[in-house]
Amino acid sequence: MLKQEKQWNLWKKMMSTRGMGQVITVTVGLILLCIVFGILNPIFFSSKNISNLLRQIAPILLIGIGQSYVLITGNIDLSIGSVIGMSTMISATLMTRGVSPWTAVVITLFCCLLVGLGNGLLVSLCKLPPFIATLGTMTIARGIAQIANNNYNTDSIGEAAQGFRDFFYYGRTFNVFNTIWIGLVLWMVFNFILNRTRTGRHIYAVGSNLEASKLSGVNTVSVITKAYLVSAFCSTVVGLIFCATSGMGAMDAGNSYELYAVAASVIGGVSTLGGQGLLLGTVIGASIWGVLQNGLQFAGAPVAIRNIIIGIIVVVSVLLDIIVRSGSFKRMKEEKKGAPATTLVKSVD
Amino acid sequence: MNEKIVHMENISKSFPGVKALDNVSFELCAGEVMALLGENGAGKSTLMKILSGVYTRDQGTVTISGETVGDLTPKSAEHHGVAIIHQELNMCPHLSVAENMFLGKESVLPGGILNNHSMKDEARKVLRELQIDMDVDALVGDLPVSKQQMVEIAKALSSHARILIMDEPTSALTNKEIDDLFIIINRLKSQGHGIVYISHRLEELKHIVDRVTVMRDGRFITKGSFDSFTMDQIISHMVGREITNQFPRLDTEAGKEIFEVRDLNAGRMVRDVSFTLREGEIVGIAGLMGAGRTETTRAIFGIDHRESGQFFLDGKEIFISSPGSAISQGIVLAPEDRKKDGLCTKLSIRENIALPNLDTLCNPLGVVNRGKERELVDRTRKLFSVKMSDQEAPAASLSGGNQQKIVVGKWLARNSRVVMFDEPTRGIDVAAKVEIYNLMNDLKQKGIAVLFVSSEMPEIMGISDRVIVMCDGRITGEFAAGDMSQEKIMEAATHFEDKGINS
Repeated sequence: MLKQEKQWNLWKKMMSTRGMGQVITVTVGLILLCIVFGILNPIFFSSKNISNLLRQIAPILLIGIGQSYVLITGNIDLSIGSVIGMSTMISATLMTRGVSPWTAVVITLFCCLLVGLGNGLLVSLCKLPPFIATLGTMTIARGIAQIANNNYNTDSIGEAAQGFRDFFYYGRTFNVFNTIWIGLVLWMVFNFILNRTRTGRHIYAVGSNLEASKLSGVNTVSVITKAYLVSAFCSTVVGLIFCATSGMGAMDAGNSYELYAVAASVIGGVSTLGGQGLLLGTVIGASIWGVLQNGLQFAGAPVAIRNIIIGIIVVVSVLLDIIVRSGSFKRMKEEKKGAPATTLVKSVD
Repeated sequence: MNEKIVHMENISKSFPGVKALDNVSFELCAGEVMALLGENGAGKSTLMKILSGVYTRDQGTVTISGETVGDLTPKSAEHHGVAIIHQELNMCPHLSVAENMFLGKESVLPGGILNNHSMKDEARKVLRELQIDMDVDALVGDLPVSKQQMVEIAKALSSHARILIMDEPTSALTNKEIDDLFIIINRLKSQGHGIVYISHRLEELKHIVDRVTVMRDGRFITKGSFDSFTMDQIISHMVGREITNQFPRLDTEAGKEIFEVRDLNAGRMVRDVSFTLREGEIVGIAGLMGAGRTETTRAIFGIDHRESGQFFLDGKEIFISSPGSAISQGIVLAPEDRKKDGLCTKLSIRENIALPNLDTLCNPLGVVNRGKERELVDRTRKLFSVKMSDQEAPAASLSGGNQQKIVVGKWLARNSRVVMFDEPTRGIDVAAKVEIYNLMNDLKQKGIAVLFVSSEMPEIMGISDRVIVMCDGRITGEFAAGDMSQEKIMEAATHFEDKGINS
């Protein structure tokens, strides 16, 4: 076998991995963006700005991971933003009432994971459309965030919580902000789970063809529920980061973050139809998001313009992917989507 | 006689409002291929879904390899060595061959970490035993249907299945691929596997089948060795009455030219296609899978992009920019895949029939005239003897044959000049096929030009007045009814251009 041919095969294999093509395209896009912003304003590349930028990206990456898990199973999680709010409010309220920060974190995690469990079971067991189910839990979770402190934002979580604030936001380890470490470590863990474990394999399988997975003996209820739990977990961590950042609980924290999470995933090549996507792409997607926010701010663009530009980027990146991909499994995919759940009726055949 | 590996006795199963199986018995021996035959709705699939654990039975006993089993689940059926190759292939398109083969039974290291290496090795081993040449890393969604089917078979064998159920395995394969499949089936048979073979293509049974079981209306009708029946006997057992003429050809005088296609090019699959259709004739397009037949109809109908091509209707050039403009000029297409392209399965029967005719049913404001609509639906229903309890029922609730009648019927309400059918009889039973043929004959008598694509040689030779053969995107042969033979058609269908490689 010729060396060249070997390399070509390796390349082909890499490109045929789920969504690798788009990851490469958007990585090139990300690099170009950085160059443009760097030229427009040299401060962009200062170590201080890069450090801040990465700290801004981390929360978007985290919710992106959660949303990617859910999207790959072929579902969607709209409750992410509200779970962030819930997490911030519950943890802050507990801390202002004198509960020790780490106890507060455990209680918060427990409450928020219940939302994930609810999402998972509603979608997988009760077969509610994911859009509706998580729209419901989104509203409920926001309500809980508001009720946590009797419809008020909380006071400062105080001196006692300084360790908590350092752990999630202000502190550094090896001279890198802890927030960045949290994002990195969780990304590595969830990336490993998705790519190397049985659960991960089943997440792709369920999103690719639910019926086939079921017939192959995959416990689809458990797989989908796990994906929603991951999403709720990531959102909770982001809520805690927000609480640590501001030192208080805000009821509207995380508003519309579920859509930012969709954007990060989708820019990174995760398919909203399920079965396809890489967490590597989600990193790039979240980074593009962060770089655009940061760079445009440096360039003096007002928030309104930033929103418009980011919206365009989301649409264009997905459009590009559709054009680039030759639609090889369009047929199977459509068949799957097109065939209604009429197994019972069909059985009479 | 070999060991009996499956024995199902007195099985009954009801669905709300339907008795799908009524006291059915079935047996299968090791090392044999048992054909399970019957019309759509006869209960074959239901019976096999009970064996494979998808449904639970209401009554009866199931014995597998001498062991009486209780209620089966897909998992426990697999444990007993039962595997089903579904009619609509059930694979995850985004996963690789090896990943699909081990889906649900991955080999893992402690902590749920996948042991990809051992799975790939095992996958290669199974494929090698079947003598299938395939890359285990290839994504299943990128493989042709025939290869996907091989993956399903390999998947079944990798779980040590002894009982393989194949539901219409050849409906999407080319003749060459069918031959390959039969080689594999015969190999499995000699290895002692028992195979249940469900198919509507009766002519292919003689190559592989040892025994047949016939069902009708959810009941067991007869069984016996394949050689002890004639084809006509099998058919009459299936339909419960004699079918006098499987291919009711109607001889008419071909009239003037109605429609002409000139120099049609659309992508790689349609190249320099030119032909004419005359009044009162049925023209069949034969060819292998992937010869560009479907693509040709799609290009004419304005679905796919064309590089070039002119159309003439009654001698005048017409321009087709979209399916809408084709329909308004009297050219219609009944597509190949009922569920995907032909029907809105969630909409009611009435809505499906009315859909392409709304322009004639609406007043200038776009409000549907309910009276006209009802009349249209009634007319279509009578024309076809579609069995439907209620025209408000969803199209998905109809059997395959009746669904096809709706797909075809919805076009007949308008004054079409050219009707194109793509595989109109795929997956429907003999009696329903004859009705479709009669319908094509009706159209022909009304002076409508009929073009139909089919992969079934007997049907294309039995019904067409003229056959166009395509290969690799080009027209490679044309035969009149008196002049065609299977050999001539096959020769033209495999007339590849000399490219050095056999594509």
